Amino acid sequence: MTIGAFQTVARDSLFTRLDFRTKLLMIVVVTGIAFIWESPLLGGGLAFIVLLTCLFAGVSFAYIWRVVAMTAPFYLIMILTQALFAGPLIAARTGQDRLTMLLTFPEHWWLIGGSGFSREGLLYAANVVFKTLTMTLIIPLGIFTTDINKMVVSMVRLKIPYRFVFIFSSTLRFFPLLFQEAHFILEAQRLRGLALEEIRGIKRLNVYARIAIPLILNTMVKSQMLEVVLQSKAFPGDANRTYLHESRLGKADYILIGALSLFFVTAIISYFVFGLGKFGGPA
Amino acid sequence: MAIGEGVRLDTPSGEEREVKAVGGTTIDGAPIAYVVALAAVVTVLAFIPLSVVIGSGKSFPMSQGIYPLVGWLLGPVAGALANGIGSLAGVFLAPHTSTMPIATVFGAAAGGLASGSMCVRDTRRSLRVVSVVVFVLAYSLYAGRAVLQNGASLWAVLLGSLINWSALLLFLLPTRTYFARWIGDQDLRKVAMGLFGGTWMIAGLVHLCTSAIIYFVLNWPNAVWVSIAPFAPFEHAVRCLVGTVIGTGVIAGLRAIGLVKPTYALY
Amino acid sequence: MTEIVAKFDSVSYLYPRSSKLALRDVSLEIKKGEFVGLIGPSGAGKTTLCLTFNGIVPQFYGGRFWGKIVIAGMDSLEVSIHDLARRVGMVFEDPETQITATSVEAEVAFALENLGVPREEIEVRIVEVLKILRLEGMEDKHPHELSGGQKQRLAIASALALQPELLVLDEPTSQLDTLGQQEIFAALHALNQKLGITVVIASHASEALADYADRLILLADGEVIASGRPNELYSQVPLLETCGVRPPQVSQIFHLIASRVGQPAAFPVTLNAGIAHFRDICEHYRLACPKFAALDLKKTGTPLFSVQELCYRYPDGTEALRGVSLDIHRGEYVLVAGHNGAGKSTLVKHFLSLSHPTSGKVLVDGVSTDRLSVSALARRIGYVAQNPDNQIFNATVWEEVAFSLRVLGYSDADVQCRVKDSLATLDLLEQRDLHPLSLPRSDRVRVVVAAALALQPEAIVFDEPTTAQDYRGAKVILELSRTLHALGKTVVVITHQLYLMPSYAERMIVLGGGKIVLDAPLRQAFHALETLRTASLVPPQAVLLSRVLDPEALLVTPDEVAACFFPND
Repeated sequence: MTIGAFQTVARDSLFTRLDFRTKLLMIVVVTGIAFIWESPLLGGGLAFIVLLTCLFAGVSFAYIWRVVAMTAPFYLIMILTQALFAGPLIAARTGQDRLTMLLTFPEHWWLIGGSGFSREGLLYAANVVFKTLTMTLIIPLGIFTTDINKMVVSMVRLKIPYRFVFIFSSTLRFFPLLFQEAHFILEAQRLRGLALEEIRGIKRLNVYARIAIPLILNTMVKSQMLEVVLQSKAFPGDANRTYLHESRLGKADYILIGALSLFFVTAIISYFVFGLGKFGGPA
Repeated sequence: MAIGEGVRLDTPSGEEREVKAVGGTTIDGAPIAYVVALAAVVTVLAFIPLSVVIGSGKSFPMSQGIYPLVGWLLGPVAGALANGIGSLAGVFLAPHTSTMPIATVFGAAAGGLASGSMCVRDTRRSLRVVSVVVFVLAYSLYAGRAVLQNGASLWAVLLGSLINWSALLLFLLPTRTYFARWIGDQDLRKVAMGLFGGTWMIAGLVHLCTSAIIYFVLNWPNAVWVSIAPFAPFEHAVRCLVGTVIGTGVIAGLRAIGLVKPTYALY
Repeated sequence: MTEIVAKFDSVSYLYPRSSKLALRDVSLEIKKGEFVGLIGPSGAGKTTLCLTFNGIVPQFYGGRFWGKIVIAGMDSLEVSIHDLARRVGMVFEDPETQITATSVEAEVAFALENLGVPREEIEVRIVEVLKILRLEGMEDKHPHELSGGQKQRLAIASALALQPELLVLDEPTSQLDTLGQQEIFAALHALNQKLGITVVIASHASEALADYADRLILLADGEVIASGRPNELYSQVPLLETCGVRPPQVSQIFHLIASRVGQPAAFPVTLNAGIAHFRDICEHYRLACPKFAALDLKKTGTPLFSVQELCYRYPDGTEALRGVSLDIHRGEYVLVAGHNGAGKSTLVKHFLSLSHPTSGKVLVDGVSTDRLSVSALARRIGYVAQNPDNQIFNATVWEEVAFSLRVLGYSDADVQCRVKDSLATLDLLEQRDLHPLSLPRSDRVRVVVAAALALQPEAIVFDEPTTAQDYRGAKVILELSRTLHALGKTVVVITHQLYLMPSYAERMIVLGGGKIVLDAPLRQAFHALETLRTASLVPPQAVLLSRVLDPEALLVTPDEVAACFFPND
């Protein structure tokens, strides 16, 4: 297991200077629109823009490649299933009762005989791939370009109760520690004779499950100490708690908020009124 | 015995004072430190994959096995928070590990709320009502979209969503109360039974919430419903086994250590 | 008249659901600018006493409380913990748990934010305290990137930023190595001397307290047994030993000398004073140091562990081990020492096949570890980790000890027999049905040792077993190791607490910067002062004092040093 760490981009850009609230709105808007759109053209365009913006903002190409590589098997399965079996779905969306077959399998083939890859199915699959890619890549664009401490203050400015925000930031604080502890526990099990490489199936499950038991118990015991620590630091503090870091909306934030809102409203209206973004629609 | 006969008085010499115990900061009766602890555990376990899910090319993380447990340990609101924030942190740390972050977070939080509201005392009725409404709505949208909008066959959808509607039924029926009672029992075998049944139920509802959102995006065809039908229950049973092993060990440990129990903890 | 910062008046305290008073009739005063040490064995009430200063006891825990505590003019029961937190800064034992923020500066700011201190003021205080604690430049670092000593300095900085009347520290150095401990005490000393901060510190670090404390308070069973200046208290060696407190070795030596030749005129408790006094008294007594034959550690036969030009590099490129070569034969008792990051645990992991060399070879009984799995080696080498809780996976002591046997496929009869034997050896039969986590820490260590012993290994490795233990707890564990060695096991102990080891280890290997800087019989190793210094290790005071008498004698324990003194007839 490799220790995960909160990733950040290596360079300064417009996105690192934006307030987190703006970026959160960006995540919500882009995710929402990606959610709704089923047009492979528009979905692909949106995914491409998000990808380019990630690169511009400093999200490393290596990371993006890793995301694509890890989700590739999923995309492949989506493509195959939609291409082969999407007939009723397409018919329900577009009213088409005949699909444009690009490749038909011989009738005598087991299970898939007579079926084949349809153009419409492939297009629908492309739409699914672009959607999920967009929804995955928008997160690092918003998160990796934000300092955690500023994220915390922004969340408070959004009227999220500080206690909830504190839980979030503490989780990020303790994650590397617990991750390492899980690794030590697994090591300790191996040192008791557990040959992980030889264990398969349900038994392996049992082993991994047993990592969680001491991890949870040790963490809960330590959390009692955390309670005392928090008390000694006057937590949860005054209602007028102050913050070291600031969360301010600047000119760029307001412009982007305006643009995102306009984009969202336009996209929704276009979708429902003109069918822009629907599968088989104008685009 | 009087003083002077070599017997030491145990009574302190100082004047006894009234102690106004304030305790620590809590969220719905659960110490905030516990919520932090379990949220961090959820995040860690999100990085430990358990098995390959045939049909989607991804493994399921161990955290899915403990979403119900977190609610049983902390209560509904704190459990929902721990699960939600833990999975959110996991998404922030490694966005590529979740097919759809919003689905993951929503499902985890809903699971914590549902499991925490199972408590036998019936004092969390309103939260249970909210949970029921959410789950019934989720299933209606999920199955309804598949059949009515995407042309999937009803039988395929019912078979493919067996773990979801069975979980919903178990939650609506008195089985929910039996599971809760068993989890609170002193006999660890009953605890294990309650954990298995409870995990089937709650993890099934988590799966429902997550899948309802994912399905809205992916709209997989009828053939996929048919193909997942035999495998989903098996994978779910594995999830339940994981939850049972972890839950039994944790509950036995917590009882032995004697940690202060959150107000709405079920164990 | 010096201002009183804290006053305890007949204070007693009973935790909820407890039948034993944690504090009993404690009356004491802490004056402004004092550096006060709280000493006592585990369970004496030191932590409870520390937690009374900021009202956590009793307001957080509840329970029953008698008496009165006044902190900076405020009754600790009448004022909220929140308000007391402004006046009392607190530092805890565990460097990890007490840091809750994701960056150094956020951690320093946390308490100030909670108290509503204006942002501009917070910024100023952060700069100030980071400079004082030598953490400037690390503002954006995640706590995980800091060393143990740096983490504790950060905790002190966070407490200091409150500008408190009083700084209370509960065992802040127990989980640190020698270097880390020195850093912390030096920092506290500077705060006390230069800034006049009142310091109250609970600690087992007798030598450091003797050097820095103005006053010591001895606690046992919740009561104040004695209070006085270090040279008053640490000279009462029999009292301290009865209470389970380890006095500085200087004190022990002078006490032993007094038993042999009569009460000396002065009773130093610090090393420098001890050395100076030694030079004075040498003329007044006949000196004849015992001679110890040079130990020949050359062994024949196939070593149990053989390391040949071992180099190991972490995936991030850090060189953890650089050309390490050594042999450990069956039946040896070896001490492996070095500062944090020297490569001790990394070396030992190679014995266990948990790590494999980047270059070089590691052989176990003549077979390369490349060909041996971790599980295969587990039958032959037991391992007791620094944190025993990471090695506990089962619901009862019995199940824990039986775990490995079942995993490795032993028959039920074998399992029964071996588990029973192992539990009996470690005196754990009565606890067989208890949950391991319900036992005290020293018993949990014994459970882990019993679990390792059940496999009847040839060797056992103890990785920092005495960390966070008081003297009694440390001795219990080391006596265990002696028992195992007497049973014929090869024992390897990793520790930086050298003063504990003379009666146990025969040989010492010192690692520094990934290399072996010293591999010698224990006596010679303890007297290789320059080498130890470069490895950031501190030899026991007995060694340093003995060199005043006779550097060639290679004395290592207080008894040996005291045995040099005879009355002038």
